[in-house]
Amino acid sequence: MTFGVHAPILAIAVPLLGAFALPVFTKLHRSLRDIWAAAVGAFTCAMVITVAVQVFTSGVQVYTLGAASPTASVVQGGFPIRIVLAVDGMSAFMGLISALVGLASLVYSFGFLKEEQGKTLAMTLFFLLWAGMLGMEYTGDMFNFFVFLEVTSIAACSLVGYRTWESAPVEAAFKTMAMYTVGGLLVLLSIGILYGEYGALNIAYLSSKVVGSQLDKIALGLLLGGLLMKAGAVPAHMWAPDAYGEAPAQAAIVLVANTQASLYGLWRVLFTLFVGVLSAPAVGWLVASLGALTILVAVLAAVTQRDLGRLIAYGAVSQIGYMLLGVGVGLAALSSRQDWGLVAMKGGIFHMLNDAATVGLLMLAAGVVRRATGTKDLASLGGLGHDLKWTSGFFLLGVLALAGIPPLNGFASKFLIYESSFRLSPILAAIAVLGSILLLAVFARAFQGAFLGPRLREARPASPAMLAAMGILAAVILAMGLAPGFFVEHLVGPAAEALWRGRDLYLAAVLGG
Amino acid sequence: MRLFTGEGHWSPLVWLALAAGVGFFAWLLWRWGRRTYKAGTEQDMPFLSGERAPEGAHVGAPHLYWGFLQGLRPVLEGLRAFHSGFVGDYVTWMVVLLAVALLVVVLT
Repeated sequence: MTFGVHAPILAIAVPLLGAFALPVFTKLHRSLRDIWAAAVGAFTCAMVITVAVQVFTSGVQVYTLGAASPTASVVQGGFPIRIVLAVDGMSAFMGLISALVGLASLVYSFGFLKEEQGKTLAMTLFFLLWAGMLGMEYTGDMFNFFVFLEVTSIAACSLVGYRTWESAPVEAAFKTMAMYTVGGLLVLLSIGILYGEYGALNIAYLSSKVVGSQLDKIALGLLLGGLLMKAGAVPAHMWAPDAYGEAPAQAAIVLVANTQASLYGLWRVLFTLFVGVLSAPAVGWLVASLGALTILVAVLAAVTQRDLGRLIAYGAVSQIGYMLLGVGVGLAALSSRQDWGLVAMKGGIFHMLNDAATVGLLMLAAGVVRRATGTKDLASLGGLGHDLKWTSGFFLLGVLALAGIPPLNGFASKFLIYESSFRLSPILAAIAVLGSILLLAVFARAFQGAFLGPRLREARPASPAMLAAMGILAAVILAMGLAPGFFVEHLVGPAAEALWRGRDLYLAAVLGG
Repeated sequence: MRLFTGEGHWSPLVWLALAAGVGFFAWLLWRWGRRTYKAGTEQDMPFLSGERAPEGAHVGAPHLYWGFLQGLRPVLEGLRAFHSGFVGDYVTWMVVLLAVALLVVVLT
């Protein structure tokens, strides 16, 4: 048995151990803490890449905890009783997004966080959040999904509000925690219903047993409500601008990936757990319509923002709308197996990766602005391009990619979404295009206001670590923009196929046969 | 490199080649233009609606799209009221979302 077999559990366990050991290393010496954090980060990324390579070359990876063999997921009678990790193309793809964002956040932290402002605490919470996200993405068990959901909720809220010497982050953390708690309870109630009905928690086993009873439908509705809220869908999105806008930059970028982990949970519930019994066109229309509503409301709300952080936050919420629209259109076309449904799925899933890189880059650039000037108020910013040349370039790249300007990556994924959503409804496609135009206008305004014009104040340049973190994301944006076919064929395609027609393979990998 | 959409395809390299061609054409037009521009003269001054801008003036972000925002004021005021900042409202809207989701799932 090779070491790679254990990669799924190591990808979760190592950052978890890394989080709890970090304060101990700080007590010994701060440089030891930094070495430990870098080692944990590098090892976690290596494990995530190992998992992805195994999944994309060999198919679904199953890892059973406590069994004689990690692949022995079922006991006699075909019942999966232990904790099982099940990683298919979609899970592996999400792991790669989490690894990319985690790596950028960690590198940025080294240059951004100050010792006297809770550097150790922030890094500890980051590793907890990272472990929780990877756990949500790799687990094959509904209850463990809930446990990791709660791990991410607690870590995320703490990251938003750990700077207790400022009032706004604490208020944002409270609001976010209130919403996460209600959403988490909905998810837990739903899992309780399923466990009461079928006596099992394993996703594959439940998927093979659900019959579409009224209780099943209520459980699905509760999961939809809880996960759509945590994904930031309108009208339950209001916590997101508060959290993204007030969190420090290195945390805000991970919050975006955390939101996507909830979206992944939604896809898993819809395409694996309930796909056999739900009315796919109706639920698909619901998800796609919420996506269009999210695009429109978030972009219009962004128009009025004067705070750079909140403006980017609303931009991030609008991007969630594109993902919901793409995958919702795919779900609506699932029962008829129309080809454009799969194209829509690819567009929505590709946009998840694009959003992580693009919004992440903008948030990191906004962190540099805040650090350099002490404010994110657009009314008092201007001319930063004179002193922050690299940051200006990165911000402009992020703006153009987010607005879907060719030849950047945002255009490629939105192009897939526009074409396929037009087949379902021209109105949905028109809203998606309108959203992109407004988004370009909003962010062009932010760029002009903050970076162009005469120098209004001296700005402290970004540290090399902060520039390196932004450079990583910028390189990914350019690569995906110039070679979208490569990324869609090798990463996005297998992820979309795993949802589109991969349920049987998933069930067979976990349950045998 | 190409991305196939089912309806057609998208090639960023072809787009870049076309953009380079358009850029070259724009450069040719620029070269054929008047040669009276002199750097460091009043030709460098910002032009703001026919008024001479004070030195160092910056049109900040909140001043952009003034007319657009005025036109959309009723919609934007409604959105502002919608985003009240009260956590009770946040939970209320989440309950609305939950109710819609349950209705769609249970009734279909």
